[in-house]
Amino acid sequence: MHEASHISEPLAAAPRHRASWFELARQHRVLLSSAFLLAFPLVMPFTALAVNILIYGLYALGFNLLFGYLGLLSFGHAALFGTGAYLCGIAIVHFGMPWYAAIVVGVLGGVAMAAAIGVLAIRTRGIYFAMVTMALSQCVYYLFYQAIDWTGGENGLRGINVREISIFGLKFDFIDPLTRYYVVAAFVILALIFLSRILASPFGAVIEAVRENEARARASGYNVTATRLIAFILSGAFCGLAGALQALHLSIVPIEIMHYETSGLAVMMSLLGGMGTFFGPFVGAAVFLLLENLVSLWTVHWQLFVGAVFMVCVLFFPKGIWGTLLQRVQK
Amino acid sequence: MTSSGKKPTDISRRSLLGTAGAGALLAVSPFSINILRAQEQTIKIGFPVPLTGPYGTEAQDQVRAAEVAIAEFNEAGGLNGRKAELLVRDDKLNPGEAATRALELIEKDKVNFIVGSLSAAVQLAVNNVTKERGVIFNSISQSDAINEIADFSKFTFHEALNPHMTAGAVGRYAFPKFGKKVAFLTADYAYGHEMVRGFREAGKAVGIEELADIRHPIGATDFSTLLPRIQALKPDILCICNFGRDQQIALKQATDFGLKRNIKLITPILLYTGRLAAGAQAFNGVIGGTSYYWGIEDQFASAKAFNDRFRKMHDGKVPSDYGALGYGGVKTLLMAAKEAGSVESEMVIAAMEALKYDYYKGPQYFRKCDHQSVQSVFIIESKTQNQRNEADVFDVVATEQPNEANLRSCESLGHKA
Repeated sequence: MHEASHISEPLAAAPRHRASWFELARQHRVLLSSAFLLAFPLVMPFTALAVNILIYGLYALGFNLLFGYLGLLSFGHAALFGTGAYLCGIAIVHFGMPWYAAIVVGVLGGVAMAAAIGVLAIRTRGIYFAMVTMALSQCVYYLFYQAIDWTGGENGLRGINVREISIFGLKFDFIDPLTRYYVVAAFVILALIFLSRILASPFGAVIEAVRENEARARASGYNVTATRLIAFILSGAFCGLAGALQALHLSIVPIEIMHYETSGLAVMMSLLGGMGTFFGPFVGAAVFLLLENLVSLWTVHWQLFVGAVFMVCVLFFPKGIWGTLLQRVQK
Repeated sequence: MTSSGKKPTDISRRSLLGTAGAGALLAVSPFSINILRAQEQTIKIGFPVPLTGPYGTEAQDQVRAAEVAIAEFNEAGGLNGRKAELLVRDDKLNPGEAATRALELIEKDKVNFIVGSLSAAVQLAVNNVTKERGVIFNSISQSDAINEIADFSKFTFHEALNPHMTAGAVGRYAFPKFGKKVAFLTADYAYGHEMVRGFREAGKAVGIEELADIRHPIGATDFSTLLPRIQALKPDILCICNFGRDQQIALKQATDFGLKRNIKLITPILLYTGRLAAGAQAFNGVIGGTSYYWGIEDQFASAKAFNDRFRKMHDGKVPSDYGALGYGGVKTLLMAAKEAGSVESEMVIAAMEALKYDYYKGPQYFRKCDHQSVQSVFIIESKTQNQRNEADVFDVVATEQPNEANLRSCESLGHKA
């Protein structure tokens, strides 16, 4: 049936019915991911953590578009995430905008910041790209840190208080944890659909071509520079959305959100879950945040345990937890 | 579609172990705790503090002191037999983490009150979460912003001192005594600026001459470029407006540069734990303020009782300044609940506002407009000689009595008086 399907080609020896199951799952990856996300809070220790995992998963997803699919390692994604969060918060606190408009402002903020950083950074590659993005994101950090009247500076931005949201006349209590989860989940699912569409499009094939062999992609007539910039900006949209949702969820934006540690977090989560996989970033975010939260409940030396788990992951799951799992299933 | 290439016996040992392991992990994980949680009528107090990170030492002491308050309350019969319970969470000194933990405590653990935090940003984050959900929060770390109308709500209480009070008290003591020419060395963030503002306010009455406000980034390790500039200004007094490790390093380097020969070093907050960590020499002769020092037990019977109980529970150790705040924060809420005969927010708020208490450091009460605890500030000087024991590191040189006049006025904070 699926003889010509490109995914099963290198796996010709694998049993066909398993491959077709896998192919089916692959085609409906958004549906499966969404179903999982809807049931997710039921198995989590507390809902606020589940919301955090959603948001950081989305953040890592945006990062993974650049890192996993295009092969550019950015160390400045905190600037995109943070700009989304701050602009969403500022729209509500200083301009009294409704929540949905604030989310749009946050996404546009992420896009604009990505365009600004991207234009300067995509000229470089490899370690230089990582350094340039990190340096630029630190500039953004100090910009927001010093703009105390707008951002609250060191104290952070407070008062992003959304008590109630109405969608098509229906009113929801945003203070209620499960409602908050499902509102955030709705946006994340929209983002998943969008990402899946991007990856399945010709543009999605081009970014992977650039990752695999830049010279060949160029020789085939693709505009590599434009591809990189567009991917960076798209990544900014995802991260901006994640930031905006984070601002609404926690009702504050701490300056720490812009810190380079937050950039490192995206790298960590993508690697842990599996770079270049569709659902891997969520797995990475879930494992990372769960470990951190659970282990720190019973020991102040939680970093020791979390570090040990990372080493185990690096040793036994070279393609990340989700990536290695996928590989096993495919065999 | 024939049978698969592998035989059924091919379920490898590894995958079997993996599955079994995952199952076992799920069974022991806290997911199951949700179901088992007993629904007794204990009074739950959430306690988010930065157990890990640069203020871990202070935070762990806060927990120890809070445990003393809980134990005392339970031994005295609780609230008509209802016992109190402390739910400690690590906020990692990160406001985002603290807000998440506050949500956990309110939404999952259904706590009655939240006490805690050890950073201005963290307490403001927790405060924003609690006030939206009508849960009383008693903050035990310093901030000026939390008193202001934008952040304040009737659910907000502030047991700790604020920078305005400590810097003011130290300034009022030091300026008339050591000279009017003043320079500032300030950590460039909200808390640093708030301390400078407190000094300036106190200096106005005395008529100080400000020579310079030299700022350094937070987390600085090298002050050697700034210290000669200060030396050249020839101030009588240098106000060191930073905290924690910054303060220890600044004092150490100022000592090495010989600044202490002609200049009196003062600081709004002298930390007990910081003094123990950095040693006598760096802190020698430095004057600062504090909310609590165990040595006041000669003055106050309540301090003596608290210290004795703390020593008994924690192998003879004495509580630190920030630790004592953990005790005060929990104790006031529990006593107010007892007074109100309920844990219902509105009734406890009324009882807190009416409270006139002396639990560990002399008389205190909450000002009505901003719920700031009006209390005494102790001026202490670090000592190098005649130490009776390891813990005997400060002399209390003066005590500023509780006085609303030393706080920023309700109007200036935006409250209607």
